[in-house]
Amino acid sequence: MQFHSFDAGYVQSLCAGDRRTQEHFVGYFTALLQVKLRSRLQSLHAIEDVRQETFARVLTVLRKDGGLRQPERLGAFVNTVCNHVLFEQYRSSSRSESLDAEGRPELPALGADALDIVAARQIKEKVREILLDLSPRDRSLLKAVFLDERDRDEVCREFGVDRQYLRVLLHRAKQEFKAEYVKRIGNQAPLAANA
Amino acid sequence: MAAERYLLDELTPDAREAFEEHLFDCPECALDLRAGAAFVDEAKAQLPEIMASLPAPARAGTGRPKVKRNHWLAWWRPAFAAPAFAALLIVLGYQNLVTFPALRTAANQPRLVPLAPLHGATRGAAHLTVTADRKHGVALPVDLPLEPGIANYISYSIDLYDPQGRLAFAGVVAAPGEGARGDQPFSLVIPGAMLRNGAYSVAVSGVAPHGERTVIERYVYDLLLTD
Repeated sequence: MQFHSFDAGYVQSLCAGDRRTQEHFVGYFTALLQVKLRSRLQSLHAIEDVRQETFARVLTVLRKDGGLRQPERLGAFVNTVCNHVLFEQYRSSSRSESLDAEGRPELPALGADALDIVAARQIKEKVREILLDLSPRDRSLLKAVFLDERDRDEVCREFGVDRQYLRVLLHRAKQEFKAEYVKRIGNQAPLAANA
Repeated sequence: MAAERYLLDELTPDAREAFEEHLFDCPECALDLRAGAAFVDEAKAQLPEIMASLPAPARAGTGRPKVKRNHWLAWWRPAFAAPAFAALLIVLGYQNLVTFPALRTAANQPRLVPLAPLHGATRGAAHLTVTADRKHGVALPVDLPLEPGIANYISYSIDLYDPQGRLAFAGVVAAPGEGARGDQPFSLVIPGAMLRNGAYSVAVSGVAPHGERTVIERYVYDLLLTD
């Protein structure tokens, strides 16, 4: 089955407990939720909690009679549920700081199969190749922004570039990386997913 | 560039919410963002090692952007500046020890200058051949005609033209007083360094009170240098 978009068939398979659909659902939205949540939550535990709670609530709603009125909006629905969970998480952590507390032990990484390991290695190599192809200045620029997490405006002033230069630099690197990424990981996306 | 703005955390809260709502609904944008995020994550992991493994000179100039150097400043580097200053000192020393004293002596001491008689060309005279040398130069007498019947001038202008016809000197002398009679002689001293073989001419013009100039004498002489 080729996923071109979310539809009633996909939601039906998901609710019916189809393993491959569930795996796709979890894999696809986990990546997006992690990108979304890491800018809002400091702790991996909190991110994982919100992610799991989001999935649980989404599946609960989907399995109720009536389910999702617009199956093609499954993605937007997941995002909305995540926002609710996140809001509750904020309120909860402000009272008890139970989930987003610093210093809690990190969850161990889940086991990966051989294909995952190979794919991860090839992705690392591709990123390394892209980084080495950059000019020394552009590498330093990326480091200052993403690794050192310095103020963007200050970094741009220091390097004599504007914000657009930074965007274009990231865009080009991302585009070059994307081909390799799609080849190794991209089959989780609905556009190219096989289930 | 929405994905880039999102990854760079440049979106306002509202724009970020809107983008995320679209993102979860659009597989293409989702893939784009996931690729970008994966690249950033992996770059963050690898950059420290890559930056550390690069040769020191390559990294030294990369921590900060290269400042555009002014090429003129390169001349102030010791390799250029030291010889240039040494040469300048030699020139200054020569001028202070040799040239200026000689000029001072020449200016403060009496010297002999050959006097060349001239005949006014406007008075029908032919070119006069004058001999001179570069060491002494030459003094040319210039007569200011004050004959009765000639209009009153407030000053006289003397223009010297070199053999190429270019104006080499222009001077102004005040008109003699009321009681002056006859031609008033002046000397136009030309230093030796200015002299060239060829035909020089001197034009004497009277300047009227309202500024009008009238050429009243023109002298021409062929200069023959003896050195």
